[in-house]
Amino acid sequence: MLSRSAERLYWLARYLERTENTARLVSATMNLIYDLPFGVELGWHNLLNICGVEAAFNQRYKTCSEQNAIHFLLTDMNNPGSLLASLTIARENIRTSREMMPDEAWEQVNEMYLYAKNNLDQVLHRRERALFLQEIMRGCQRFTGFIAGAMSRNASYRFISLGRNVERADMTTRIMDFGTILLAENRSHMMREYETMLWINVLKSLSALLMYRKQIRQRIKGKEVLSYLLKNPEFPGAVHHCLLEINDCIQQLPNCKELADFIDPMIVEILEINIGETTPAQLRITLDTLQAQFNDLHQQISATWFLSP
Amino acid sequence: MSTHSIWSNYHTHKAFDEMIDHQGTTRDTCATLGQYLQTLGMETIKGRLSAAEAAILEMGITFTVYSDEGNIDRAWPYDIIPRLIDFHEWKSIEVGLKQRLKALNCFINDVYNEQHFIRDGFLPPDLIESSGNFRKECIGMQPKFGTWANICGSDLVRADEGKVYVLEDNLRVPSGVSYMIENRVITKRVFPELLQNLDILPVDDYPTQLLEMLSSLAPHSTERPQIAVLTPGIYNSAYFEHAFLAQQMGAELVEGSDLIVKNDDCVYMRTVGGLEKVDVIYRRIDDLFLDPEVFYKDSALGVKGLMRAWKAGNVALANAPGAGVADDKVIYAYVPQMIKYYLNEEPILPNVPTYLCSDPEQCQYVLQHLSELVVKPANESGGYGMLVGPHATQKEIQQFHKLITHNPRNYIAQPTLALSTCPTLCGDELQPRHIDLRPFILQGEHSFVTAGGLTRVALRSGSLVVNSSQGGGSKDTWIINREQ
Repeated sequence: MLSRSAERLYWLARYLERTENTARLVSATMNLIYDLPFGVELGWHNLLNICGVEAAFNQRYKTCSEQNAIHFLLTDMNNPGSLLASLTIARENIRTSREMMPDEAWEQVNEMYLYAKNNLDQVLHRRERALFLQEIMRGCQRFTGFIAGAMSRNASYRFISLGRNVERADMTTRIMDFGTILLAENRSHMMREYETMLWINVLKSLSALLMYRKQIRQRIKGKEVLSYLLKNPEFPGAVHHCLLEINDCIQQLPNCKELADFIDPMIVEILEINIGETTPAQLRITLDTLQAQFNDLHQQISATWFLSP
Repeated sequence: MSTHSIWSNYHTHKAFDEMIDHQGTTRDTCATLGQYLQTLGMETIKGRLSAAEAAILEMGITFTVYSDEGNIDRAWPYDIIPRLIDFHEWKSIEVGLKQRLKALNCFINDVYNEQHFIRDGFLPPDLIESSGNFRKECIGMQPKFGTWANICGSDLVRADEGKVYVLEDNLRVPSGVSYMIENRVITKRVFPELLQNLDILPVDDYPTQLLEMLSSLAPHSTERPQIAVLTPGIYNSAYFEHAFLAQQMGAELVEGSDLIVKNDDCVYMRTVGGLEKVDVIYRRIDDLFLDPEVFYKDSALGVKGLMRAWKAGNVALANAPGAGVADDKVIYAYVPQMIKYYLNEEPILPNVPTYLCSDPEQCQYVLQHLSELVVKPANESGGYGMLVGPHATQKEIQQFHKLITHNPRNYIAQPTLALSTCPTLCGDELQPRHIDLRPFILQGEHSFVTAGGLTRVALRSGSLVVNSSQGGGSKDTWIINREQ
């Protein structure tokens, strides 16, 4: 398999995952903000922060209104991380990888792109926006379905899986950043009152609520949610699970020795993290370290198999 | 439903119409199609066009247009009314096209070796030396089977009372064949019943034929040669086609940076498992960008050392570098003589009469008759830099007067042909629009011609410019056998 092709499939998967994550995050945030009373110290700026685009947003906008945040996160082509920009890049990548996957996979992404482009105005109105986001999430899932159902477990498949899981693990740690706000010692009385609902929304933003409830049959508590999202080996959005998937892919690709040596200690370290005794400040450091490690992991993948090291 | 004929407003002009003769009668070749369209009625036809256009978008059949706002990916312009050619007529065109490419390849091989044609006085030597597509780096090369132009797209036009001429031969990186195949896929969707009841030659075996031809070029006989399609990348106007052909052939689609030439003068591609040797490259990059070691030094599209590997006989390039020397529109004028000289045969397909501005006498004539002629630069393609005299403004004519006087070698002129027309769906009715035809001819160990080709149509009323980059459209082309 060409290094270039591998790189394109990897980025295709990363950008599609990012598209889906953005849709789900915005959707969950909408739900949350409409439920919360005024005065709770949570808003669209938190979402911008999670997506790592707060600084870029502030350069372009004076106020962090819902309209501005939505525009920036969903349809602004000047924001390389916006839903439309991610989807556009994903489409470019699959357009240039058509010879490697079932036709339906390309047609699915292409249709979703055309849908997004033709319905940009929908995101301005809350009700239509929810439908728009739902359609995008479904489109991404259909793609995943085609790949799961019609693609041989070959190198192409593994690079797609690799990209998806690197992106997903990274996003999960970003969403866990919410925890540093929700667990802050100086959080308001009102925030404490709505705490359970906030944590439920964290789980929802990763489609993790049901699976979490099935596993942990008690009242939802913050630190347990964080622990679950970090260390659960079975839930697809949990960091531990993503790393196991990445490890599986790596083992079956050529020249994988160095990467295997890199990822093994990462998995061990994650299981050693004790969220129960972590302060919000320590949690932030842990999450920052993890995100840096994912970046190194990406560099390593790139150096091993891609054209551009 | 309205009962009036969909043909009642269809008026053929002076030009030959492919479907309706001057008396308003449907030609025999098109009888079934004409009746069928009439039965459908205009509203249904329009409905089917919408379905076709939706399919084109979803399947992502596009081409890229360069514009001030960046590169735009446009949906492929498809006209729903097919263009028909009788099987028997086509058989003789097919033989004529093979004959022509054979002679062209003899000529190119001769130009880069003994130059008999020139020494025997059939072509002034300075026309070769001054050709923008002559590559002195290729002198002395003898590609396998003596074939330099392995893939050729010749443009045919029908003029006068139905006579078919060759307008030009594209021997560098001709494009359009993927659209020929996709047009048929779309037509099958919109007119399934019609295609089932008529005997129409299929067009989708082209990728198989291309693969076989490319395999025959492999320098060393291997079980399964490694074949790569070399593309300039996603921003090239024909990228869709490069990806399409690679996918259909099961070949690798590579860019320059995927390839490397090592000290052993062999070409390798970078894969996730390391380097893999490449035997045949179907390159869709112009000569001058192929190898920064030899041609443009700052070309980021090419591969350093590619010419070295080719000259050492370790990799086949199709088309061979330098093949474009016969693509020059001045050289075109000499093709009928080439056919006689190399093959000792009479040309089956005629050339369009051509005035060479390099000849002072002919140049004088051209300058005096600019408003009647079509003037083309010798080394351009895609319909760029052309003057269509009868449609030009006084200012444009003056501009070309200057251009030609300044560099006569670079221009040729031809009488403005009344290109044949074909019914085309324009808004709510069928109207005659000018068309041409680009068949694709392969020559490696064997020769092959596509069944028909890509019919291009000038969508503006009266316009003669059919190039998609200039707003032209396309039609599915049917070679129809009416003998049961």
